[in-house]
Amino acid sequence: MTSPIGALPSDPLREELDVRTGEAVSILVPVTERPSNLQELYEEFATPFRSSGLGFEFIFIVEPEHWNLLAPLEELRDAGEPIRILRVGRAAGDATLLRMGAERAAHDVFLTLPAYPRIEADALLDVLEPVLRGASMSVARRWPRRDSWLNRLQNRIFHLLAASAAGGHSINDVACGVRAIRRDVFESLPMYGDFHRFLPFFALRQGYQVDEVEAPQHVGDHQPRIYSPSVYLRRVLDVFGLYFLMRFTEKPLRFFGLIGGGSLLTGSAILAVLALQRVQGQSLADRPILLLGVLLLVLGVQAVALGLIGEIIVHVNTLRGGNRVVREIRREPGSEGGSSSG
Amino acid sequence: MKQRTTLSVVVPLYNEEGNVMRLVEGVRAALGDRYAWELLLVDDGSSDGTLREVAVAAGAEPRIRPLVMGRRFGQTAATQAGLEHAVGDVTITMDGDLQNDPADIPHLVEKLQEGYDLVAGYRKHRKDRLLTRKVPSWVANRMIRWVTGVPIRDNGCSLKAYRRELVDRIQLYSDLHRFIPAVAVATVGARIAEVPVRHYRRQAGKSKYGLSRTGKVISDLLVLTMIRSFRDHPLILFAAGGAVAFAFAALFGVTSIIMAVRLGLPSIVFASVTALLAGLGAFLVILGLLAESAVFHAMARKPPPNLILSSPGARAGGGLER
Repeated sequence: MTSPIGALPSDPLREELDVRTGEAVSILVPVTERPSNLQELYEEFATPFRSSGLGFEFIFIVEPEHWNLLAPLEELRDAGEPIRILRVGRAAGDATLLRMGAERAAHDVFLTLPAYPRIEADALLDVLEPVLRGASMSVARRWPRRDSWLNRLQNRIFHLLAASAAGGHSINDVACGVRAIRRDVFESLPMYGDFHRFLPFFALRQGYQVDEVEAPQHVGDHQPRIYSPSVYLRRVLDVFGLYFLMRFTEKPLRFFGLIGGGSLLTGSAILAVLALQRVQGQSLADRPILLLGVLLLVLGVQAVALGLIGEIIVHVNTLRGGNRVVREIRREPGSEGGSSSG
Repeated sequence: MKQRTTLSVVVPLYNEEGNVMRLVEGVRAALGDRYAWELLLVDDGSSDGTLREVAVAAGAEPRIRPLVMGRRFGQTAATQAGLEHAVGDVTITMDGDLQNDPADIPHLVEKLQEGYDLVAGYRKHRKDRLLTRKVPSWVANRMIRWVTGVPIRDNGCSLKAYRRELVDRIQLYSDLHRFIPAVAVATVGARIAEVPVRHYRRQAGKSKYGLSRTGKVISDLLVLTMIRSFRDHPLILFAAGGAVAFAFAALFGVTSIIMAVRLGLPSIVFASVTALLAGLGAFLVILGLLAESAVFHAMARKPPPNLILSSPGARAGGGLER
């Protein structure tokens, strides 16, 4: 089932432009963490493309740690399979690997695929279909879920936090990683660090419509997963970063000013009371609350100053036609209003 | 043969169902064949029937260019999008709620042709509630005038005319649509004039503004001051703040020494305050250096700003005449 997600109600006038995307797709596979057997992965996930008649290429972008997995893939490539292998000189993370793959991709539609199975191979074409029709982006949602309760619980908590940080946009499975996206949309979105997970949120923020496609969960994705505490901490920090980026990227002073303003006002109130008491003859030298007042004042000034730094960075880097989708819509024939030539 | 002025009228719309057709009629009646014109109706993610009305209006009037934002981005972004798509020699911005009268557009254009870069309308007889609209607006305008130094009396009036060269040089983001004249003066030194315009009560739909925007205005004013005065040398602003912090630190430091050495009194609180304030001073200076570095790297990637406005008779440094 495909469901469009966006801030706006569905309206035919808002349909995506009919962009010619061609009949071929570049499948980007960043090989960073817990990769499965890459040869098996390729053989399984290339099958639906072969039978569809769609042109395709697989681009494996591989960190040094996993170069030892490449021999079977290279044999397949040498035998004429549409495989390209990019060996990356250092561990760079999924976002960077995807960008490198996109830069070298031959086609204008990308399908991102983790190096381990997430959804059944047959569902890949369903994920791809909205983008081939001209949509900006579509993301797979593993549904129905058949993995352990622990995975689902972790997933649910993460999505509750992420959706709330993203301002209520409800992507149900940002962790899936199977996404189809047009080249022009991909290139207009920020891709760095661990934020590749939140690509659909960034697309929605810029005004693109994102389709979510339900896809059966792969049997290889069923096993329970427990990560190290540092992974959970990074996810929490990612969500906090997402909260800031979705709301305050263009107006950082609103965020820092709120924190700093509260601190400044409280500190100022304390100092005003102390000043009044000093005028009435009370000593200040032995009053620790003076320290608290000054501390709050200092913290407030620091927060506001940081907000101003943010504003400077935004101001000097803002570009015309920045991060937003604007398009001219088609005209509706109607009886209202007269017509005159210009 | 003298060429006709080409006008682009930019109207951002958010939930203005019921107003679009009357707006189009008003613009058509005001501009007729006197100018070559286009009307850019920018739907900012309306959730009512505004977009449908825009599409129908555009179907009936070829001079309308219907634009839609991908989602609701806010009035500043919608206005900026309209400005970026406008092709006229002169661009007009106005609200879509029919509180402005398109019949005032020719007055703005005439004033602009006297050699100004931007002509701002001011609502001479406002038809708004006194306590919730007029008084806050009066206070906000005084503050904006005082902080920015640009003596515009009605920053809330969207009806404005801009010369092409100015439209190409200003960049609005965040909520800066409220301060376009100040931004124009601060960034490119535009020459500005004001003319009185008519004002009507909203006829359909609901107002999108209230007293809640006060905090945002204050924050934006702070930003604008910084852009105007310290964009090219942010270190000055932060070093000045740091100097104040160091001065107070010195004051508390000397006091604590006198208390401890001369009077034999406990001075731990004052000494701690000294350390805090000195730390703040150092922090601000470091931030200033960081800001300089950010500006340096951003400017190194960009061509020099184009500050040349080719309007006849324009004066350097900006200013305002009525």
